[in-house]
Amino acid sequence: MRKSLLLAVALLVTLLAMVPALAQDATEVKMWIAFTDNRLDWAKQKAAIFNEKFPQYNVVVEGYNNYEELFAATALAAEQNSLPAIVQYFEVATQDARDSGYFKPIAEALGDRTEVNGIPVNLEDIIAPVSAYYTLDGQWTSMPWNTSSAIMFSNMNILNAAGVDSPPATWAEVEAACEAIMAMDNAPEYCFTWPNHGWFFEQWLAQQNGLFANNDNGRADRATEVVFNSPAGVAILQWLDDMKSKGYLYYSGAQGGASWATVDQSFQGQQTAMAVYSSSDTAIYTNTGRENGYEVLASFMPYNQDAEGGWTGNLIGGASLWLVNGLAPEVEDGALTWLLWLTNTENAAEWHQVTGYIAIRQSSVDLLNTEGWYDALVANGASQVWLDNPAVQASQGKVWYAENPNFIVASDQLAQSTVTPATSGALLGSFPAIRNVVTQAIDTVLLTDEDPATVLDNAAAEANKILEEYNLLNAPQ
Amino acid sequence: MSPIFPVLAIPAALGAIIMAWLFQRRRLSPALGAAAGGAAGVVGALIFMLPLNFCTFEAERDTIDRVFGAALIGIGMALTLWLVQWGAGWWQARRAPPVDVGFQFQQPGVFRGRLLPLVFLAPTLIILALFLYYPSLDTFRLSTLLVRLGARRTAFVCVDNFTSLVADPGYYSSLLTTIGISLAIVVLGLALALLIALAAYQPVAGARIYRTLLIWPYAISPAVAGVIFLLLFNPAGGIINHLLNGIGIPNIPWLNNPTFAPWAVIIASVWKSMGFNILFYIAGLQNVPKDLQESAAIDGANAVQRFRHIVFPLLSPITFFLIITNMTYAFFETFGTIDYLTRGGPLESTTTLMYRIYQVGIQNNDLGKAAAQSIVLFIMVIGLTILQFRSTGRRVTYGA
Repeated sequence: MRKSLLLAVALLVTLLAMVPALAQDATEVKMWIAFTDNRLDWAKQKAAIFNEKFPQYNVVVEGYNNYEELFAATALAAEQNSLPAIVQYFEVATQDARDSGYFKPIAEALGDRTEVNGIPVNLEDIIAPVSAYYTLDGQWTSMPWNTSSAIMFSNMNILNAAGVDSPPATWAEVEAACEAIMAMDNAPEYCFTWPNHGWFFEQWLAQQNGLFANNDNGRADRATEVVFNSPAGVAILQWLDDMKSKGYLYYSGAQGGASWATVDQSFQGQQTAMAVYSSSDTAIYTNTGRENGYEVLASFMPYNQDAEGGWTGNLIGGASLWLVNGLAPEVEDGALTWLLWLTNTENAAEWHQVTGYIAIRQSSVDLLNTEGWYDALVANGASQVWLDNPAVQASQGKVWYAENPNFIVASDQLAQSTVTPATSGALLGSFPAIRNVVTQAIDTVLLTDEDPATVLDNAAAEANKILEEYNLLNAPQ
Repeated sequence: MSPIFPVLAIPAALGAIIMAWLFQRRRLSPALGAAAGGAAGVVGALIFMLPLNFCTFEAERDTIDRVFGAALIGIGMALTLWLVQWGAGWWQARRAPPVDVGFQFQQPGVFRGRLLPLVFLAPTLIILALFLYYPSLDTFRLSTLLVRLGARRTAFVCVDNFTSLVADPGYYSSLLTTIGISLAIVVLGLALALLIALAAYQPVAGARIYRTLLIWPYAISPAVAGVIFLLLFNPAGGIINHLLNGIGIPNIPWLNNPTFAPWAVIIASVWKSMGFNILFYIAGLQNVPKDLQESAAIDGANAVQRFRHIVFPLLSPITFFLIITNMTYAFFETFGTIDYLTRGGPLESTTTLMYRIYQVGIQNNDLGKAAAQSIVLFIMVIGLTILQFRSTGRRVTYGA
């Protein structure tokens, strides 16, 4: 008895030892991403399909809790020479990623190839605001993946009851709608809300063609100063402050992740009529409304009607996938193949449908505008997450965007944006820390009587100190 | 002129004077004391100044840096002079004739060699050295640098990371916030726990079940508690406001008003540590002698008087122990609750010192400043820990 147990253990150990040996035939391509929810499941399912299609590669996806943790893990791995092949960085860490020297621009790795392992490169297909963000020094730097924009969700039941037919487009219209809504007998607790996160300030600033940092938002040359304390920046704080003093604004607080959750709760509990939010949650917002008997309509993020030139455009958010520098040629090719396949027309469409991140390829938008999208995606190799999605199943055989109009809003908003340095998004070091400074400034304006212009000037001074320290450690000498 | 000479000469002279005087009191040679004290003074000054390369006394530095440098030298000297003083005492004791204690027993369970105990201790020591002592020492190095993860280089900034705290109003407000929140947690937490423990200690049917259930919150992770309270406290659509509305109280902006947000953290934290406190109080109540209470009752003392004059004084060791553990909890373990509930906001009204370090070090990736702040906090931990050791070692006694 004892002997057979020992034998079994020995056999098991031998078998386990053989597993890596078997897998060694395929080149391992490791990818680290900052998701642990169904987005990680999706990526893992996609990797399994990819590994079947390309048996010479073995893509392994590992999830981290959040971007900050992944960032730290990457820096530590770099010190120990154990970087994976691909790392996901959020958009505000783009300058940090670029300065770190860990990564190789995608364009450089591609050279003049138009296809890798039979997968066409075709980067012209990626919509303009996205390619503008990730094109640095004139070349493609990282591969966009999860890309979103800020849009507004409106509870049309409340708006219609107040006699407002369509979601307001400008700040003034929002205020007018709020006046009507709050005057109703059965008015909700609040009219308008948004999560206090620096990203929304950046969006409202870009809409007014306002720069966040000098040197064309850090795109012409390294940013050395922030310039967000401009009249355009002050106007944002002034408007939010007015909205709050009139009792229209539900202030979500400056609690980072939690402020998103409090907005979710107040909008989904129908305590607030309108919420500016990330398009990444389009699926959840739309479905919650559907399940609870109120209509949710997505619309462009409302803009400052008094800005010179009106609405210039919005910028993107989200994260991109960076190719690690100094990989073995076969690993680098495997990584490129995987990146191109993961973001091909069908996969970009699938990712868009299960999350609400925008479809980064024009061809994906075109595909979803036909009735044949379902079959095309299945033929490409569909993930279980996608197959289990009720909206996907319900819209099968119909035009996706006709059935799910909220999904096109963010893409349309970006497609209609004029690409300027302001709408391309800022590149500057220590951006996450500077973002926190802006969030704190908004917090101060909304919770004290301090003057928005002074508060924003102080915030800029603090941000400049952070930026100066960053550049001291990172700028080429 | 190089600042090195006066920086070493003054501690040497001071050390020599102090030690000469102390040696004289011990009836040892003052000259020897002066020599040892001078050397100790120099070594003491060098402990901090050598790694810092005397930067606090450079010409372009501010007064505050010099004061800080002088304080560091003072700390270093206190350490080395104390060592010399202790050494002198040890040497005197050794020279004194040994006291005859008759014959000595061979004590059982004592290692003969020096090596064997070390071998047994090695795994623990290695783990401690690698994962505790080395990172702690490295924190001191980091605190003198401008350093970011993933940056191309680091920059030496002398003691700026410390001295900038003195001029930072945000840091003081964090200190006050920490003290305020901690005090409220301790006072409220202990008062409520004692009240509930008294109730749960009553001989009622199913008392054991109540007692078990009361301890449950302690087993819930801070993150889960944070999420639960986030949903409860949400100003729009939260349950607590809904209930308050029911009894005619208007909506309270729990999470986005700097007056109420600390209370949200305090309530969540008190709830979280409640089980632990109740557990100890019930244990304490079981040790309050019944006969004392009975005789007091016979003498005509009512329930309040019995509690006031018998039970509460007898519980005081437990109360003291709980004050210390709750203080430590409030200082260092409310992080999870704050992170989920308020993220230090609004207006930094819930940014405790611990949370501030996380913001600076992890969110802003400014490791040098975070290291400096954790050293300041570290000194506070030492203070609390010493108190805790004393309270557990000596003052907590059960029964007679």
